[in-house]
Amino acid sequence: MQKFDVCIVGAGPGGSMAAKVAAKAGLNTVFLERSRVVGEKNSSGCGLGQHWWRDFPEIMEKVERLPSFREITHCFFKVTDEDDRLITSLGTGWTKLDDDRIVYKGKGRGMTGCSIYRCDLDPLLANMAVEAGAELRTSTLVTDVIKEGGRVTGVVTDKGEKIQADIVIAADGAHSTVAIASGIRKRFAKKDITMVPQFDFSADPDKLDDVVGAAEQVWFGTFCAAYQVNFHDGFHLGAGQWLDIWSGKKPVELLTPILKIPAFQAMCRATDAKIREFQVHLLPWMPHPSYAGKTYGDGVLLIGDAGGFPCPLEAEGVWHACMTGKIAAEVAGQAISAGNPSRDFLKEYERRWEDSAIGEEYHFGKQFVGLWRATAFDPVFMKTMGRFIGEMQSLAFPGPVFDWSTSHMQAINDHLGHFLSLLPQMSAVVPHLKPLGRGISDANRDTIAELIVGSIKKKVPIIPTFITRPLIRKMLGKAGRQACKL
Amino acid sequence: MSDIKDMSNFKLKDLIFRNDADPGDFITYHEQKCNGCGACAIICPVNLWSMSQAKGGKARLTPKYKEWCMECAGCYAMCEADAIDFRYPNGGSGIIIKHG
Repeated sequence: MQKFDVCIVGAGPGGSMAAKVAAKAGLNTVFLERSRVVGEKNSSGCGLGQHWWRDFPEIMEKVERLPSFREITHCFFKVTDEDDRLITSLGTGWTKLDDDRIVYKGKGRGMTGCSIYRCDLDPLLANMAVEAGAELRTSTLVTDVIKEGGRVTGVVTDKGEKIQADIVIAADGAHSTVAIASGIRKRFAKKDITMVPQFDFSADPDKLDDVVGAAEQVWFGTFCAAYQVNFHDGFHLGAGQWLDIWSGKKPVELLTPILKIPAFQAMCRATDAKIREFQVHLLPWMPHPSYAGKTYGDGVLLIGDAGGFPCPLEAEGVWHACMTGKIAAEVAGQAISAGNPSRDFLKEYERRWEDSAIGEEYHFGKQFVGLWRATAFDPVFMKTMGRFIGEMQSLAFPGPVFDWSTSHMQAINDHLGHFLSLLPQMSAVVPHLKPLGRGISDANRDTIAELIVGSIKKKVPIIPTFITRPLIRKMLGKAGRQACKL
Repeated sequence: MSDIKDMSNFKLKDLIFRNDADPGDFITYHEQKCNGCGACAIICPVNLWSMSQAKGGKARLTPKYKEWCMECAGCYAMCEADAIDFRYPNGGSGIIIKHG
């Protein structure tokens, strides 16, 4: 029986990152992949967010040179009605202020991410782990774990081979054999996991540059929502739904309504897009990984999708897998040095990721998930939501400038009236949005407080600011004592 | 323009790829545990499961599942009666995602 320090199950981004970090630390590391070549079994997104330029810039420099790479600086929401007519487009913003939050080699990257096929990304990351000294075994399925006295001490493969290790890292995705076999959890609760069907389209790369450019798209309508992730020479059109509120449709039926939208068809015509492949996968999507249980066990650590780590707001998962993979490998190293791979020692892993940028992802997870479940995943609500967004845009610049149906002031009143009439129906979102106020930083609260204090001073100069300032700051959630320091 | 209008006329089987290595037995169905809820039949993207009158309203797994399964594990995730065990097909076999 072969014995390693660390055995990692799965050579997706998280598994490869864990293997790289473990091998670099001098640990005898093996990572196992069930497919023939790394990246052959994966159909996630795949978008790499801006924080990749902060946390893994050297990898991003390599990713930029991969064939399917498309730089992404924007996302456009195409909102449609029940007759598939375009209500409006909503877009993200880009300013130099935003971009300069992450600077790498003198260039702002704070609003710059990318799309990349997993069949490109995964081999790149796996090669980095192999170069660092980790042993990669492909065509190797793990079917069980070895347990000694309740502790996981290795894995069993489909060929009956037993591989021993001080620590096993589960990087085997949403349906994690390691998590299930080691007894940490069974299946995810239906409310914590989504089914995601996805079409891959081929497209003319130059035309895709011209028509779509450096942007992702999201199709929004009474069919709920579908993402369009754009790569160099194609795109993914995908949609998800939680299993506990699964509509009774077949998975592919989440996508077929988008194929009928004239604006989508126009984009396909303009880019020579054709359906090339159908893919499907499960995607954990929950407020916090603890909803699925612990992310560690005796001799075992769960990372990425296996641990339930995807972002609760937009379900990004590759960064989360890599970050947790890195932390897991570091904690595994410490446990091995201490000669203590026990559950007790490994709880350090959970403390580490909770205290890191990963942990911050779930601070408002309950609100994020609640917001989606109350809105974009509810077809009845989406009818109202589409109209509401439309009226919001009709009121906002440049809406009124282009409404010549009547006098401009009358047009503004028409839209304001429509907007106000829809407002009560939007109350479903309030319980999810209101707690997000707690996330506003002290610096921003200070600025808002000073704007209000200044405005009161201007209108009612007789009330001194030493009275208004603490009151306003308290109202905005700042302690009165702190306020006196200003 | 016409081919775009006809975009919905795809056949899923033309859009799914796999290699022909032996996948082994990877779905184990415990018929006695099935409560006939039908969730597996709904979720399966390629209709491996059907609800069988002949089996008293219980689910039936097509014997051809090894040729069609997309390895999503949706049936396992859906089955609250614990009637379905799913492991992935043997290493090096099964579905191939070309542009994932």
